Amino acid sequence: MRHAQLVIGPAGSGKSTYCDQLRTHCENVRRTVHIVNLDPAAENFSYPVAFDIRDLISLDDVMSELGYGPNGGLVYCMEYLLENIDWFKEQVDEYLDDDYLVFDCPGQIELYSHLPVMRSLAENLQRWGFNVCAVCLLDSHFLSDAAKFIAGSTMCLSAMVGLALPHVNVVTKMDLLPKKLKKRIESYLDPDVPALVEELTNQTGDRFRALNSAVASLMEDYSMVQFVPLDYSDEDGLANLLVEIDNAIQYGEDAETREARESEIDQETEYTPNP
Amino acid sequence: GADATSAPEAGPSSAPEKPIVLIMIGMAGSGKTTLMQRLNAHFHLTKTPSYVINLDPAAVHAPATANIDIRDTVDYKAVMKQYNLGPNGGILTSLNLFATRFDQVLGFVEKRASEGIKYILMDTPGQIEIFTWSASGAIITESLASTLPVAIVYVVDTVRSANPTTFMSNMMYACSVMYKTQLPFICVFNKIDVVSHKFATEWMQDYDAFCAALDNEKSYSACLTRSMSLVLDEFYKNIRTVGVSAVSGEGISDFLAAVDDARKEYWEVYRPHLERKMAEREKERAEEQMAKLSEDMPESEKRKGKTKAKK
Repeated sequence: MRHAQLVIGPAGSGKSTYCDQLRTHCENVRRTVHIVNLDPAAENFSYPVAFDIRDLISLDDVMSELGYGPNGGLVYCMEYLLENIDWFKEQVDEYLDDDYLVFDCPGQIELYSHLPVMRSLAENLQRWGFNVCAVCLLDSHFLSDAAKFIAGSTMCLSAMVGLALPHVNVVTKMDLLPKKLKKRIESYLDPDVPALVEELTNQTGDRFRALNSAVASLMEDYSMVQFVPLDYSDEDGLANLLVEIDNAIQYGEDAETREARESEIDQETEYTPNP
Repeated sequence: GADATSAPEAGPSSAPEKPIVLIMIGMAGSGKTTLMQRLNAHFHLTKTPSYVINLDPAAVHAPATANIDIRDTVDYKAVMKQYNLGPNGGILTSLNLFATRFDQVLGFVEKRASEGIKYILMDTPGQIEIFTWSASGAIITESLASTLPVAIVYVVDTVRSANPTTFMSNMMYACSVMYKTQLPFICVFNKIDVVSHKFATEWMQDYDAFCAALDNEKSYSACLTRSMSLVLDEFYKNIRTVGVSAVSGEGISDFLAAVDDARKEYWEVYRPHLERKMAEREKERAEEQMAKLSEDMPESEKRKGKTKAKK
């Protein structure tokens, strides 16, 4: 089985940083991941890219040659990728059993919740023998109160419904938050439902109490929307997140990797390569 | 500030005279721009004084009639070049630049508002999250809502939403936008000249009907847990839903009725709530600044401060 992460999230949520940090982390623990760029509007990368949608089509060309705006152009590019799925398969097939690909995806929500593009792409990957997990990133700075946190959660749900994949939501840039805000966001991650309802209702007004209650119990439904905080200043942060994602796609079924994972969690012996 | 709070105190009789700002939000292909054009044409035809603000720096087909256009102030392509950004970064930075001057825009709007304007249409960037998930989008929305009645107009492509998964996904996103903005919300099912939105209202009223539709889709009905359907059910109760055709003009009067209703909701519910929140935020900000101040103080000073406080 091959494995894949689809890294999604709005522009500026830290997708490329995540890919870069993940790659570094995996290098340290002697794991190999290959980063693939699927964003036709991407800029330059600080890391080597396994393959790049821009080798097939670039947003720049679409905009200048076909006269599209950036948004229509992006949709065009992604649909073009689907039309040229053979190209995509050829690239992907360079990677064999047990290879792990990380797809840095474009941020536009309509690609996930409105258009069938990304879903078709994911279905293709599954058909070719990939276990695929969506990793949805959200910038913690935009989750600074209960209502905003709910806005983020429901947005992730929207993508989740559209993609129909195992899903891990990540709150990024936790290391850049002031202490007080960090604590507050951490309290939302494992919420006390009545308190969350109160806080929400205080924000939204009493008329929304029923909706707030419904939403808060959705947050409690652990299998539905679950957020993992990501703090790059904490080396375990990324390791723990990776465990979540690996679980979601059943990575490391072979004993060796599982052992490595357990030693990572239990003894906190960071990055000791497995004998 | 003092200006913002003085308006409702003038009494409810003067309140409805203020124009309502309609923040148009919609995913690519929802027909948001066409709907703007239709509304604009309708206002001209009925001689209703209105005002158009375009916030999409990359708009290709934006109405040439925008009274205030971000493109007159910021050239996003130049911004891309200058700051070495991609299109996303270029649009976001342009919106940020514009947000810093939004008080001027507000000044224009307020001036025209006093001249009897009834509707202000505001178009947002095509990349929906550049407005809903950015600091500048929040600044613009909040500064507008603290001055004038504001409603979110969420435009949905009815044709695509006939697929139940897409529908659910779209409504979840709408719910997200409502929580983000916390403003009166109008969900507009566009393109009813192609597909009637009857199925949508049915799904919104009858959970079982929606479930049945989802079951036919076979692939992913498992994701609709009880908790999720409860959220959607409650969400539907809190929003207005109308079907329109931007192309034929059908449903525009329903839409305007919904706008009137949203305006009422703003004055009766949101405005008082908003003011309370603004006062709270002001207090919190002051406290945060005090906290920062004491954090910045050298350790010895802090101790001094603490002992003093104890006394």
